[in-house]
Amino acid sequence: MDDTQLNSLRRDPSPAFAARLRASLREHDALRRRSAWPGMKAAAASLVAVAGIAGLLSVPAVRASAQSFLALFRVVNFVAVPVDESRIAMLEAEKLDPPHLIGEQMQMLEDPGPPTAVVSPEQAASAAGFAVRVPAYMPTGVYPSGIEVKGQAHLQVTADGDRLRQVMDTLGISDLEVPDGLDGGIVDVRIPPIVMMRYDRGGAIAAQLVQARSPAVSLPGGIDLRALGEIGLRILGLPPVEAREFAAAIDWQSTLIVPLPANASSFKQVDISGHPGVFIQRARPAQNGGRGPIANALLWSANGMVFGLEATGLSYDDSLRMAESLQ
Amino acid sequence: MPLEHAMPGRLARWVSAAEPDWDAVYADELPRIYNFFRYRFGVTADAEDLTARTFEKAWRGRFRYRRDLAAFSTWLFSIARNVAADHLRARRPFVTLDEAAAVTAAGTPEEQAIRNSDGERLAALLQQLPDRERELLAMKYGAGQTNRAIATATGLSESNVGTIVHRAVQTLRERW
Repeated sequence: MDDTQLNSLRRDPSPAFAARLRASLREHDALRRRSAWPGMKAAAASLVAVAGIAGLLSVPAVRASAQSFLALFRVVNFVAVPVDESRIAMLEAEKLDPPHLIGEQMQMLEDPGPPTAVVSPEQAASAAGFAVRVPAYMPTGVYPSGIEVKGQAHLQVTADGDRLRQVMDTLGISDLEVPDGLDGGIVDVRIPPIVMMRYDRGGAIAAQLVQARSPAVSLPGGIDLRALGEIGLRILGLPPVEAREFAAAIDWQSTLIVPLPANASSFKQVDISGHPGVFIQRARPAQNGGRGPIANALLWSANGMVFGLEATGLSYDDSLRMAESLQ
Repeated sequence: MPLEHAMPGRLARWVSAAEPDWDAVYADELPRIYNFFRYRFGVTADAEDLTARTFEKAWRGRFRYRRDLAAFSTWLFSIARNVAADHLRARRPFVTLDEAAAVTAAGTPEEQAIRNSDGERLAALLQQLPDRERELLAMKYGAGQTNRAIATATGLSESNVGTIVHRAVQTLRERW
């Protein structure tokens, strides 16, 4: 008896079984989506906001005792979290919009205002305060069509433990406690200027490149950030066991929690000029409610900056080449 | 002002993932997991059922996978081994591997007959091995894992894995 004989009993799974199992896994996600709130458009706006709250709730830090703050949240990594849209619906039904998840008193110290159009990357750099990078590679027929700069935002929210408890009760999260030290503390959020560069093809938008310094969030000192992160993950809809394990495993000092869109068809990690990033492909909803055009998005960070490239109708290779050609 | 107006909304909507490319994972790992169960338990129906259970558990728990701790195949195999252990505890009756071979073997009737004949003998011999040896042979020959990967998955030393596999193969040869 040799290795050939020992290997001889291997068989490929039957195509019918492989297809059946694959369909079953897809159905698992489809069931999650069918339970979602039907108002997807409104929910989408909330997802963005909840992502922000997830950031608020889940950022850790280094002690900065002089300000009794934990300075935190510089984006290095991104981690996907499947969003339970029904949770978002419950929040909206209770009129618990995201800033008020953790406190009613919010103060906008610096209002970014509407985006301002500029005429050149140099002008954008001057307005944003950092060296703006532009892609050297442009897919066939694609051309730059506009640049906007959004100003810095700075806001503070006074945390309210009772409010967060109310949110948790609304969502049926009864097994977790609001961390001590949160109540009355100031959550400080700074979002540096954002440069948004639009690229068209044939008169329609083909891609948008977004770049900004990493946002920074500070929480009051002494808070159990892992516990707070776990609450944030539960608010996003993760099951208890997953939320606990995930909260324990994640590096909260450098990881941005972002929601996984229900229409994500594929995503994977990529390397963009030596920096880890992610690529996601998703179908945009069509006007008739069906499956619309495929959109690609790349998200990566490098040297304290966060970059995003969203493209419609560009191939993965073209998107990647554009991203890698930034200079 | 709502936060969604202050946060870089497009960035927030984009996703990341410390997650594998599931299409590629499925294509690569399905045959390995399936054959691990075939060698381990020998029943096509069970192998499919156990493979499905493994992938469903992995899919539900994919957010627990940490790329920095283990290769994805290692993580998936740890789930498969747990599924196998649960299956053993359930003490379900086994059917021998030759039945599986008979169901799925391809080729001419003559080729199939020869293959089934060897399959019957090998299946019978596998069933006689101690459980630990059968598991390691399933990992090595069913799933095509290296001794190092088996050592990582089982907690045994690589040399120990080699010794056990060698001993098991020797036993099979002697009884062949």
